[in-house]
Amino acid sequence: MTAPPGVSGGRSRRVRGRPLLYTSYAQDMALLDTRGKRIWTGVLVAAAFAVSVLLADRSLEVLAVAYVLAIGAIGLNIVTGYAGQVSLGHAFFVAIGAYTAAALSGPPGGETLGYGLAEIWIWLPAAGLVAAVAGVLVAPLATRLRGLYLAIVTLGLVFLGEHVFKEWKELTGGPGVGREAAIPQLFGYRLDQDGPLGTKEQVLYLLMLSLLVVFAVAARNLARSRVGRAFAAIRDRDIAAEVIGVPLTRYKVLAFGISSFYAGCAGGLLYCVSGYVEPGSFNLLLSVQFIAMVLIGGVATVSGAIAGALFISLLQPVTRALPALVPVISGDTTQTPNVFQVETVLYGLLIVLFLVFEPRGLFGLWIRARNYWKSWPFSY
Amino acid sequence: MTVTIVTRVRERALSAPTAVAMRRKDLGIWQEIGWAGYWEQVELVAHALLALGVEPGDRVAVHSENRPEWLYADLGTVAVRGITVGLYPTNPPAEVAYLLADSGAKILVAEDQEQVDKALAVLDECPELRHIVYLEPRGIRGRYTDPRLMSWPELLELGAGHRSRHPGAVAARMDAATPGDVMTLIYTSGTTGPPKGVMLTVRNVEFAVKTLVTGGGFTSPPPSDRDLAVSYLPLCHVAERAFTVWFNAASGVQVNFAESIDTVQANLREVQPTILFGVPRIWEKVLAQVDIRRAAATPVKRATTRFWLRVADRIGDTLVRTGGRHTTRTRLMYGLGWVFCYRALRERLGMRRVRYAASGAAPIAPDVLKFYMGIGVPMHEVYGMSENTAVATANRPGRVRLGTVGEPHPGVELRIDELTGEILTRHPGTFAGYWGNPRATADVLEPDGWLHTGDVGEFVDGGHVRITDRMKDILITAGGKNVAPSQIENALKASPYLKEAVVVGDQRPYLVALIGIEPDTVGEWARRRGITYTTYRDLSEKPETRELVRGIVDEVNERFARVEQVKRFAFLPKELDHEDGELTATQKVKRAAIAKLFEDLVEGMYTR
Repeated sequence: MTAPPGVSGGRSRRVRGRPLLYTSYAQDMALLDTRGKRIWTGVLVAAAFAVSVLLADRSLEVLAVAYVLAIGAIGLNIVTGYAGQVSLGHAFFVAIGAYTAAALSGPPGGETLGYGLAEIWIWLPAAGLVAAVAGVLVAPLATRLRGLYLAIVTLGLVFLGEHVFKEWKELTGGPGVGREAAIPQLFGYRLDQDGPLGTKEQVLYLLMLSLLVVFAVAARNLARSRVGRAFAAIRDRDIAAEVIGVPLTRYKVLAFGISSFYAGCAGGLLYCVSGYVEPGSFNLLLSVQFIAMVLIGGVATVSGAIAGALFISLLQPVTRALPALVPVISGDTTQTPNVFQVETVLYGLLIVLFLVFEPRGLFGLWIRARNYWKSWPFSY
Repeated sequence: MTVTIVTRVRERALSAPTAVAMRRKDLGIWQEIGWAGYWEQVELVAHALLALGVEPGDRVAVHSENRPEWLYADLGTVAVRGITVGLYPTNPPAEVAYLLADSGAKILVAEDQEQVDKALAVLDECPELRHIVYLEPRGIRGRYTDPRLMSWPELLELGAGHRSRHPGAVAARMDAATPGDVMTLIYTSGTTGPPKGVMLTVRNVEFAVKTLVTGGGFTSPPPSDRDLAVSYLPLCHVAERAFTVWFNAASGVQVNFAESIDTVQANLREVQPTILFGVPRIWEKVLAQVDIRRAAATPVKRATTRFWLRVADRIGDTLVRTGGRHTTRTRLMYGLGWVFCYRALRERLGMRRVRYAASGAAPIAPDVLKFYMGIGVPMHEVYGMSENTAVATANRPGRVRLGTVGEPHPGVELRIDELTGEILTRHPGTFAGYWGNPRATADVLEPDGWLHTGDVGEFVDGGHVRITDRMKDILITAGGKNVAPSQIENALKASPYLKEAVVVGDQRPYLVALIGIEPDTVGEWARRRGITYTTYRDLSEKPETRELVRGIVDEVNERFARVEQVKRFAFLPKELDHEDGELTATQKVKRAAIAKLFEDLVEGMYTR
């Protein structure tokens, strides 16, 4: 067949009022393909920014941490959700990012390592890249292992990392002591101090929100690209993917690399808010938290990962308030049952409940609601 | 210079080269074709036809589903003063042989291997056929060696070569065109005998264009380049040719080609056309689909839809009274219903943006039209036939009268024969005669220009015309009563459960009906009731199905006089099919063939 006449590849006009009539693949693949989506996404982002002046500083702090966790969750979703490689080692990569950032931005000549490069545009990419390198080094394991075996091996990473970070006192300050976290500084302005732009919390909130938007859009773009399709093919059936010409090793390495990059960046940012990082925090619980975010939010969706991160983060203030309401639960770690145990149990319970009743997570609930109205007045 | 549809396209290519002329869906994308691209292809085809030695008056046959190449071939042929002959994609080889031989086509444009095979099988009967151009090379290229075969790219290449050697040849041919040139043969569906080729001249088509398209004979305001249409009915039929080719060339309506007849629903949803033409079968089918799908919805949705469709029914009643104009009350009810049901329902049906919908080419039950009017699709029944270039009467927006085919277009003389009740029309769109059949022409065309339509009708309230039936179909019962079977049949077919109904009773004591169920809806109905069945025939013969149909028949009978009531009915053991000679290419029932094929069934109903 010759190419149909008059069709030029670059031209892309939408026909007014016909959301399903695509006249080019660019339209078909567009992130925000309908006016409704454009408007509502705009409203949502604007509302998120507006929140910075509406909410109290304490709440902004919680949300800022939630946004950073969301970046990490998106990262885990890339490797586990899109590419289907189960990873329990996410906390390890987060830790690498956190310490890279802290070491680079820390003051030189202090008790712990520091190079005095406090500019965020230096340490943030560096944190991501170092973590990505670690991810790429680990990835060859994934090319040989599948499913549960891969999960166990990546679980090993967490314990290895925990041990190393506890012992490497020059870098981490050692267990129970810790060190100060990365210092966010942009063109000479300290963002973790009250300034002309607002309080410390407001500034950090806006920083984290902006970064989340950047990372989320990047992940969405990745997912709809050739790479994203290759990931999905590997997830759905690796042998079939290989048969249709997807180089498995290359894409698995890529998935781990990108995922770790996200984890590293999240690690660098995560402790900016509290200003303090302790090596004991990078344990299995953190990995499980990320898994919970992905599963509760929605596997292989960016908006699901964000929703999951928000859900888990906002769950924490609720559980922390439990000792006051339910006297049996203690706020002290030395007693049983304490809030932290309750939290762990709750994560497990939520994961189980979501996997059984709504495997597509919060995003699945949304899809269900949307389809109900979309198919109106029929059911399909 | 004579204005033809080809000069109209050439003009658009000059004035709006990049505007969209048509879209075709290819690999999931609606590929746009601009006017310049359209004209380029038409010109290349025209040059190629010149290179192949097509002289004025030569016939070029097109045997394909609707697609841009159909239009290129059609207009290319008209550009070189040839005559286009359309073949139905469903035509079996025997009919292909008849049509090719009768028209004496020199060149055949066949869509794919299926159609090429049909032509190759009957080559001996068509001595004048010199070239077969195929559009889809799959299964043909490298396997078929017949020297007459040629691929579409080869044809275009031939045209390009000819154009570089004789740049002005096509323009010269176009300039020589006269209004009397026959530009197309439209074969009648042939319910009673072999199909006859209706010769339509440039003058006929220009009259139809002026009356129906630019004059706004159907739509109000007249169609423009902002309108979208979906092309899915066979282009060899005069109605689809008018709505696709003529609307497009004359008014710039953007034509969107459906992928196939099976994907029409999905394509309609994507395109959301503004102008939509359908035959009764399509409208009935969509209505049946609505019934199936709302019955399968969740209880809340089902209840809401049931309520709002009942409201729509009331709105429809009012609109029928007012001729299609809303009253304050209906506007208010419709506004509410639009929020809860109609907007979404119309969106799902692909009729959200329809500003003009028309039903024609066969009679339709008023209830079906009322449903569409109720949910806000401006539905109009129109009337015309190949012999008068589809120009006769139409229900005009705001002056709709249900059960009639509307008022004669301006410039159309229409009278009803006092003796027989037959409708006669006279206007410049009256055809030039049947191809190679002057006797048949003389039968329907009076020397003073009046055309016998073969339809019996009457005037209602002076202006609107109601059609009783085809003259040949009127039954005279043994009691001497004249009965119009199509009205009874359409009342029956308005039920979503019935697909075919053939009323028999000529020279008989009472009327009986052969009934074909709609397998989709009855199947769904049976599934919901836990009735298991295997085949179409098995489903028809279930006692529960008989009960269901008995109820429908009784209900319809109540609306008719005693002699017009169907006393007994029997089920057709199979779905009627074009291939088996039971239906025409336009899905019209061949009564004679049915009566003969199912003679025992009919006799059984009278002897019991």
